[in-house]
Amino acid sequence: MAKKNELIKGSIDSLLLCVIVQQPIYGYQIIKELERRSQGYFKFKEGTLYPALHRLERAGLIRGEWQTLPNGRQRRYYHITEKGLYTLVAKRGQWLDFLKAMNLIIQPAGE
Amino acid sequence: MLTVLSNYIDSIRDNLRLDQSSEKEVIQELETHIEDEVKELRESGLSEKEAADTCLTLLGSAKMVARQIYEAHSQGSWTQALLAATPHILFGLLFALNWWQGVGWLLGMLVLVLVMAVYGWWRGKPAWLFPWLGYSLLPVVVAALLLLYLPKGWSWVAILVYLPLALWLLYSITVQTIKRDWLYISLMLLPLPTIAGWFLAIEPVNQLPEHWLQRMQDFAPWIGLTFLALGVTVATFIRVRRRWLRVSVLVFSGMITLTIVAYYTDGRLSIPAFLILMVVMLLVLLSPALVERTLRHSG
Repeated sequence: MAKKNELIKGSIDSLLLCVIVQQPIYGYQIIKELERRSQGYFKFKEGTLYPALHRLERAGLIRGEWQTLPNGRQRRYYHITEKGLYTLVAKRGQWLDFLKAMNLIIQPAGE
Repeated sequence: MLTVLSNYIDSIRDNLRLDQSSEKEVIQELETHIEDEVKELRESGLSEKEAADTCLTLLGSAKMVARQIYEAHSQGSWTQALLAATPHILFGLLFALNWWQGVGWLLGMLVLVLVMAVYGWWRGKPAWLFPWLGYSLLPVVVAALLLLYLPKGWSWVAILVYLPLALWLLYSITVQTIKRDWLYISLMLLPLPTIAGWFLAIEPVNQLPEHWLQRMQDFAPWIGLTFLALGVTVATFIRVRRRWLRVSVLVFSGMITLTIVAYYTDGRLSIPAFLILMVVMLLVLLSPALVERTLRHSG
């Protein structure tokens, strides 16, 4: 479990950018979306989401905006920035190359 | 919101150590998250208490969340690092270029320090403010010492009027700064051990002021060097994210600058005085943490 968490920690920036690029989205919705799209694989301490979001925001990869809901409550929606989009494309490329190389080694020859 | 959830939010707030506007946004975002989570858990059939407990388990330790958010926000830009290092660099140049005897330079420096301190305080106390604030309080202390040289009678009147005002100013700035983060008090006090070290190393016993000035002149390049080292320290402090690294940077810098003082004054700073200064330096830089804890416990 600890090793799985380490893997998630190392990929959290890419995961968040992949979710945010789809649509402007708020924190709690990101958790649910990651869980749904990974069929329950990506479950992590929810409190660690916000430090990661704030780090990405300070790096200029995403932008947070407060929106007032019809019931008067406020929610912070995250949007991807142009810089974030370029970073995501680069990270996607790196990740696909990595996966391809891993598969060549992990899969036994002839399979 | 249930008490356990309010306590969780309070615990995060206590450990965030961010400026007020960032703190408000972080807390509001977490509160919304908790409300969404509890609502969904309640809809799935859990009781209010069960929903709150599950929500807290899913969120993780409040201290860990606060620490990670602090680290996400704490790193200042290179511009902020340069701005924070500037008063030390200017003070260093004042000695390195032998401008310290020019009244014009001293007055210019004083005005700049005061303007930057007031501007930073007014702009929401960003991290770069605190080194400027430290230097801006120096004239307050120096003025108190100068009052002792007034004609007899007058000095007592002046002290009775000035001292409470000065103490009130120092107290209110300290309390307001410590409430934000005790490390900023350490940042303000950073030059103090170095100034004390140079003062002890240069001060001639039973000698004329001319000798004192001569010694200042002899050591001016090394005095400048120590303040330039403090500038590098402050810039590093602003750029690193982790608190333990920030504390280490301040303590390490205190040790280095005091060692420079002892080394370049050829034994004028005795070994016991050097060791006492090291202890005083540790007390000056780390005691604000105890003050912060006391203030928090007292309400």
